[in-house]
Amino acid sequence: MSKNSSGIMRQKPMTPWMYLLPALIVMITFIVYPGFNTFYLSLRNNDNSGWASTRCLAGQPCWGVFENYRYALTSPIMQTAFLNNLKWIILMVSGTVVLGLLIAVLADRVKYEALAKSLIFLPMAISFVGAGVIWKFMYNYGSSQVQIGVLNAIITALGGQPVSWLTEPQINTVALIVVGVWMWTGFCMTVLAAALKGVSEEILEASRVDGANEWQVFWKIMVPQILPTITVVITTMVINVLKIFDIVYVMTGGNYGTEVIANRMYIEMYKNYDPGRASAIAVILIIVIIPVMIMNIRRFQRQEEMR
Amino acid sequence: MSVHRTARKHGLRNLPVHIILIGLCAIWLIPTIGLLITSFRPVQDINSSGWWTIFSKPKGYEEYQTYCSVCHGDDGSAIPEADLSDPDLVQNYRRSFSLLPSLSREIDGQPHMADSSVPDETQTAAIISYMRRISGLDSSSRLTLDNYIDAFTGYRGNNTYRADCASGKQSVDLYCDIRDLLNPRGMGRAFMNSLFVAVPSTVLPILIASFAAYAFSWMDFKGRQWLFALLVGLQVVPLQMTLIPVSRLYAQLGMNGTFLGIWLFHTGFGLPYAIYLIRNFMGGLPREIFESAYIDGASHWTAFWKLCMPLSIPALASLTIFQFLWIWNDLLVALVFLGGQHPVLTYQIGNMVTSLGAGWHLLTAAAFISMALPMLLFLLLQKYFVRGMLAGSVKG
Amino acid sequence: MKKRFWLPIALLAIFAMVMAACQTAEEAAPVEEAAPAEETVVEEGLCAGVQPGDEITLLYQWSGTEEEKLNAILAPFVEECGVVLKPESTRDQALLDTKVQAGTPPDVAFWNVAQLEQYKDTLVPMDTLGANGDNYADFFKDPGTIDGVWLGLPVKADIKTIIWYSPAVFAAKGYSVPATWAELDALVEQMVANGDVPWSMGMESGDATGWTGSDFIQDILLVQQGPDYVLSLISGEIPYNDAGVKQAYETYGKWAADPLYTVGGAQGTLSTGFNDAILKVFSDPPEAMMVKQSGFAGGTILEQYPDMVYGEDYDFFPVPGAQGMQGGADWLMVFNDTPAVRALIAYLSSLEGGANWAKASFDLSPNKGAEGNYVDPALIKKGAALANATGFTPDLGDTIPGGFGSAEWAAIVSYVNGGDLDAALASVALAQSEALQ
Repeated sequence: MSKNSSGIMRQKPMTPWMYLLPALIVMITFIVYPGFNTFYLSLRNNDNSGWASTRCLAGQPCWGVFENYRYALTSPIMQTAFLNNLKWIILMVSGTVVLGLLIAVLADRVKYEALAKSLIFLPMAISFVGAGVIWKFMYNYGSSQVQIGVLNAIITALGGQPVSWLTEPQINTVALIVVGVWMWTGFCMTVLAAALKGVSEEILEASRVDGANEWQVFWKIMVPQILPTITVVITTMVINVLKIFDIVYVMTGGNYGTEVIANRMYIEMYKNYDPGRASAIAVILIIVIIPVMIMNIRRFQRQEEMR
Repeated sequence: MSVHRTARKHGLRNLPVHIILIGLCAIWLIPTIGLLITSFRPVQDINSSGWWTIFSKPKGYEEYQTYCSVCHGDDGSAIPEADLSDPDLVQNYRRSFSLLPSLSREIDGQPHMADSSVPDETQTAAIISYMRRISGLDSSSRLTLDNYIDAFTGYRGNNTYRADCASGKQSVDLYCDIRDLLNPRGMGRAFMNSLFVAVPSTVLPILIASFAAYAFSWMDFKGRQWLFALLVGLQVVPLQMTLIPVSRLYAQLGMNGTFLGIWLFHTGFGLPYAIYLIRNFMGGLPREIFESAYIDGASHWTAFWKLCMPLSIPALASLTIFQFLWIWNDLLVALVFLGGQHPVLTYQIGNMVTSLGAGWHLLTAAAFISMALPMLLFLLLQKYFVRGMLAGSVKG
Repeated sequence: MKKRFWLPIALLAIFAMVMAACQTAEEAAPVEEAAPAEETVVEEGLCAGVQPGDEITLLYQWSGTEEEKLNAILAPFVEECGVVLKPESTRDQALLDTKVQAGTPPDVAFWNVAQLEQYKDTLVPMDTLGANGDNYADFFKDPGTIDGVWLGLPVKADIKTIIWYSPAVFAAKGYSVPATWAELDALVEQMVANGDVPWSMGMESGDATGWTGSDFIQDILLVQQGPDYVLSLISGEIPYNDAGVKQAYETYGKWAADPLYTVGGAQGTLSTGFNDAILKVFSDPPEAMMVKQSGFAGGTILEQYPDMVYGEDYDFFPVPGAQGMQGGADWLMVFNDTPAVRALIAYLSSLEGGANWAKASFDLSPNKGAEGNYVDPALIKKGAALANATGFTPDLGDTIPGGFGSAEWAAIVSYVNGGDLDAALASVALAQSEALQ
C-alpha cells in the first residue's frame, strides 16, 4: 500500500515492481543464482563428489561439512591474506578518498580543470596489462649495472643500494597499494567532482562574502553537502579493495607475503582445482561485506527521514 | 556568478592551489610517461637502459669521447686503416673481450692507447655500442614508430613490420599496404568488436538501473530498504564465481559465443553498483521538485523522464565512464562468453606476447592505442559535470 | 539536454553495430594459411570421412610468433583436408576449466599434463582416435597415460637439464665445460676466485614465481639421487620432506642465496625475472657466467641479441652428472571425437607430422619422425641430448595435480628468502599427500 507520510506520491501497488522488474530478473539470473551455487559448492569437496566432510584428514581438526571454511579461516596463508586486506583497506581507501576529494576541490577552481582531471583519471583507462608494464618500469630491480626501474635509478644515483620493491616483505604490500591508489584515485575524484557540482554556487558565494576562509568553506559547507556521496565512495572503495585481485595477480602472484583474499580464491579455484575451498573463501568475502552494507542502509534510512 | 568566478580564479590566493594540483598531476603522470617513451623505443634498447636515458647522450658517447675520438675523430673515420665507421671492421669486435686485446697491444711499437689508460670492460662495452651506431650496424635513431605499427597491424614475426615488408618476408596474411589496417589479427577489427561489446553493455545497465533507482528513491513499497540492501550487497559476489554457472546456462540456451550473451552478463554484473550510485544521487534531489510535479498532476513516468533523468546527468555520466571502462579493459568475461572468434581488443593485445613473454614491447604501444577511446569519452563527458543543474529550479 | 546526451551514444551504438555486421560476415572462416612447405608430404588416406569445411575448435596457450609456427605446422593438414581451424589462445586456466565445466569444451586443447588427470573422465582416449603410438618412446607415452588409458599426445617437448653459457667468454677467461658434478663445483669456485659471478638465477614470474628454482632443484635431485627417486616423489612413495630432497635444497641454497655465487644473492634470485636472468649471462660485459634454464632460453637470447651466433656466442651443455633428463611437454587432449579431429590426430602422430614439427623449429617434438629433420642448430643438439638421455623424468610440479605445484614454489621462495627449510618442506609434503590422496 502506498503511504503518503514522506510526501511521496501515491501509486498503484504494482508500479514500483514494474520499475524494478528488469533489474530483478537480470540480477537474479547473473548474480543470485551463481551466489547460491557458490554457497552449495562451498559445502562440497574438491571434485563435487561428496560433502566437504570427506576431506577431513585423520588426526587433524575437522569441521564436518564446513571443512572448507576451516581452511579458509584458519590456514596460515589465508590469515596472511586477511591481514593484508586489512592493510589494503586502511591505506588504499583513505588514500584514494582523501586524494580524490582534494583533487576534485582543487580542480574545480582552475581553468584547466578538464585537463587536470583527465591526467588523474588516465591510470583508470589503462588496462591491467598496461599498468603491469608501467609499474615494471617503476619498480624494476636491477642487481648491478643497469637500472631500468625509475625508483631504483633514483636511489642508485643518490648513492644507495637498489631496493627490491616487490619482494621485501615489509614494503611490498605498500608498493602494491601505491599502484592501487594511483589507479583508483581517478574514480573517487570523478564521483566526488560530480557531487561537488551540485553544491549551490550561491551558498558558497554568500559564505565567502560573510568572511569565511577557504578551509571553513570546505569543512562547514562543502563536506556536509556531499557527505552522502563521500559515504558512497568510501563504501564502494571498501568493496573494491576487498575484491582486489588484478594488481596482486599481475605483479607478484600473491608471493612474498602479498597474498590477498581474492587472489587466494582464484588460485584455489583455477590452479589447485579446488572449487570447494574457493567457494568458501567467496562466501566469507560476502559475509565480511554485510556490516558495511548495514551501515549504508541505516544512513539511507536517516536520509529519508530527514526529507 | 560570473564576477565572483573570475575573481576566484585569479590572484595570488590561488597559487597554492596551482602548485599542489600541478604537483599531483606531475606525480601521477610520471609512470605513464615512462611507458609512453618506452613505446617509441626500439626493442633492443628497452631492456638495456632506462627510458629516461633518451634524454641524455647515447650509450658510449662519453667513453668514446674520452678514449677514442682524439685519434679516430668524432665520426670514426680519421684513421683510414682503422676506419671505425666501417661496419665490416666493427663487426669483428662484438664483445668487450674481443676489443680489449686490441686496445692493450702495441701498434708500430707504441701502446695503442699511448699515454692514457686502457678502458675497463664496462667502458669497452660502451665504446663498442657507440661504434656500432656510428658504423651503421645498429640504427642510430633512438625513437621509432615500429612498436605502434607492429601492434596495430597484428605483426607476429621476429623483426618489425617495416623490415619484413621491405625485404619481402612478410607472412601471408599481411599485404604490406593499407589493407593491413583491417588485418583480423591486428587492432583495427578488435577495436570494432570491443566497441560492439561495450556500447550496449553500458547503455543497458544504466537504463535498467535508473528505473530501479527511481523506484527505490521516490516510490514507497513494502520491503524497500531490505530489497535495496540485498541488491546492493550483490556487488560483492566475485566475478570468478559466476562464470561457470552462467556459462552452463548459456550452453543450454545456445547463447555461448554470442554478443547478446555478453551484453546481458555485463548488464547483470554492473547493475548492483549502478543502482547504488544512481539511487544515492536521485535520493539527494530536492523533494520539492517532485512534490510540485505530482501536485501538478504528473505521473511517475513523466516525473522520471522529464525531471529525474535530466537532473541525474552527472551521476549517469560518471557511471557511463566507469562501466564503459570496465568492459573495455576486460578480458576474462569476453573470453568466456564471446570467445576467440570475435576477438576484443584486450584479447588481441594479450596475443601479441608469446607464452614466455617475448614480444612484450608491443604491449607498450598497444596499451596506448587501447587507451585512446576511453580517455576521449572521459573528456567528452566532462561537459556534463556542470554546476548549477539545480540552480533556479527551486525557490529560496 | 537529455536528448543531446543520448543522441551521440545512440549514434555510436548504431555505428558500432553496422561496422560489426560488416566484419562478422568476413570473419566467418579464418582459414590459417601459411607458406606452403615444399618438402613436406601428407599421408594418403589421411582425410577419410572429413568434409571440406569441417571445423575443429582448438584451445592453446601459444600466441605471437609461437602461433605462427603452429600454423605453419598445421598448414599442410589444413590444405589437404580442407578443415577449418577455429583457434583460441589464452594462458588463463580459468577459461579451459569454465568451458569444460559448462559442457562446451573445445574439440581439442593443447595444455599441461596435469589437465589429463583433471579431465580424465571427459577426454577421448588416443587409441580410440587412432593415434599412432609406435612413433613415441614409452617414456613419453607414460606421463600421458592415466589409469592405464592413453589420453594425451605429447606434441612439443623441451629439455630442462641444461646450462647455458657463452663459449666466447669461457674461451677468453680460460674456463672449460665441466663433465662431472665435481668439475662443475670446481669451475664455480674457480670463477669466484677470478672475480666472476658463476650463476644467474631469476625466480620472479608473476603468479608462477619460483618455478626456475624448482627446476634447478629437480635437476640436482637427478644428479644426487637419480631418476627413480624423482619418480617415487611423483607417485608419493617418498614424501617431499625426505632427507634427499633436503640435501638438494641445501646445495641449491648455497649458491642461490650468496651474492658471490649468484648475481644479486638472494634478493637477485627472488626478484629478477626469469627472462632477465638469462640475458645477464650474455650482456656485455657479462654479469654472470652460467644460467641453468630450459631450451627456450636460446630464443630469448636471440630476441635481445639478434646478431649472436649459436655455438660461438651462446651454447649449452647438459648438467654434468645428471642421470637422465628432466623435461616438459605440451599435451594434446581431445574432448570431442569427430572425423576432422581424428584426421588431425593421425597427421600429428604420423612421421610426416613429426618431421613438419621439426622443420618449423617449434621446439622439440617427441614424435620419432622429428629425428634428423631439425634445421636449427640449437634444436639439433637438444634433440640429440634428448634422444641420448638415459631416462626422462617429467617435472614434479607439472605432474602432481592440485596445489602441489604452487606449494613447492612457495617453499622454494621462502627458503631462499631466509625461511626455515624444514617447515617449508613439511608444507610441501602436506600438499603432496593431499594431492595424491
